[in-house]
Amino acid sequence: MLAEAAKAQEVFHATLREAAQQAADGEAPRDRLWFFRNARWRCLEAGEQGLQAEDVDLEEEELAKDAPSQIEKLEPQQLATWISGAPDPQRTALALFYIDEFNHTDLLSVTELKPPELSKLLCDGRRQFQAWLDTTMPGSQP
Amino acid sequence: MSAVVQLSRRDKMLLHCAPMRDERVDDRALRTALHHARRTEQFAVQQSFDKAVAALVQTIPIPQDITDWIPPDTFIAPARPPWKKYAQNPVFLATGIAAIVIAVILIFQLIERLNRFPGEPSALRLLTTASSNKSMMLDPVKTEAGRLGDFFFMKHRLVHYDVPPEFADLKTIGCRVFDDEEGQRIAQVWVVEKKMQFFLFPAERDPKTGKVKEFLGWRYVNQERWTGVVKKQGGVCFMAALRGSEKDLAPYVSKKKE
Repeated sequence: MLAEAAKAQEVFHATLREAAQQAADGEAPRDRLWFFRNARWRCLEAGEQGLQAEDVDLEEEELAKDAPSQIEKLEPQQLATWISGAPDPQRTALALFYIDEFNHTDLLSVTELKPPELSKLLCDGRRQFQAWLDTTMPGSQP
Repeated sequence: MSAVVQLSRRDKMLLHCAPMRDERVDDRALRTALHHARRTEQFAVQQSFDKAVAALVQTIPIPQDITDWIPPDTFIAPARPPWKKYAQNPVFLATGIAAIVIAVILIFQLIERLNRFPGEPSALRLLTTASSNKSMMLDPVKTEAGRLGDFFFMKHRLVHYDVPPEFADLKTIGCRVFDDEEGQRIAQVWVVEKKMQFFLFPAERDPKTGKVKEFLGWRYVNQERWTGVVKKQGGVCFMAALRGSEKDLAPYVSKKKE
């Protein structure tokens, strides 16, 4: 969500510190997803402090059959940068969806979205990412 | 090979957020949508796209000092099972049902106890008598029920055996006086209206003090489709009985009469 390992690490430590503090006070978070919620809000806060991506209407393309081979050629940092540049809540939706650690209900809970909202954000995100892939790697298109 | 499948709007909406692994699908509607879309090309393309992105995400290295940290679960309080889990547990379910049944029985008994009144056993016995009697067994007397008080006093020395004002205007067919199994003097009156029967019997007394046990107003008794309404007046109970329900007697007792 931040595209910067150092900032992400900071968020992780801050979240862990708060959980430890609460546990020491005898008020350990009861919510199983507390860590993810807390870290998400910290990431959003941290994201607001840095350079902001401009709000632009990104192009969208239908998903290509050879998209996996295009994606394979990417560096993880490129993907992280692209996701971190997305406006929230799309950024949250894409980041948490592609971590591939949540079931459907948990994903809706952590992102605080309704199914139609999550669906639209992911659908648009894929198509925008495909458009970006096509621009970044034009040669790999059929 | 892809199949031509028509997906509903809802299915399409759900498929856009379909997890990449089946074990992550915990929603019935989503599972159904996946079942419908399993063989469509569009969904296959989406899944391979998602899996490629997820695979790329997995290659992001996690710094050693983070993986070395205590697992976050340590700070999370153990999740309490939701009440639905408890409700589905057969032990809790059985206990819950038993508790509800006991509560219903207790409430039923409490209501029954609240409705009890002194003289109720006699009233119930007389309802049985009412159900098994014929009018021809009584001495024919054609008058107004309210006038029988003097008749019972003059002929049978029964004091305060008066029909209450609510039923006093009704025309009688016959009446009789008899002793029940406890040796109590009972006056029985048959009236024309609704083949109703009246019973006048001594009110229940405290065996120690000999005082009449009090209760106020009209009280209903029911037994085998017969209903009676009982009132105590001056040491004597009056009961109007008929074959029917409380609704049939309610209009009489709700009348205000002097």
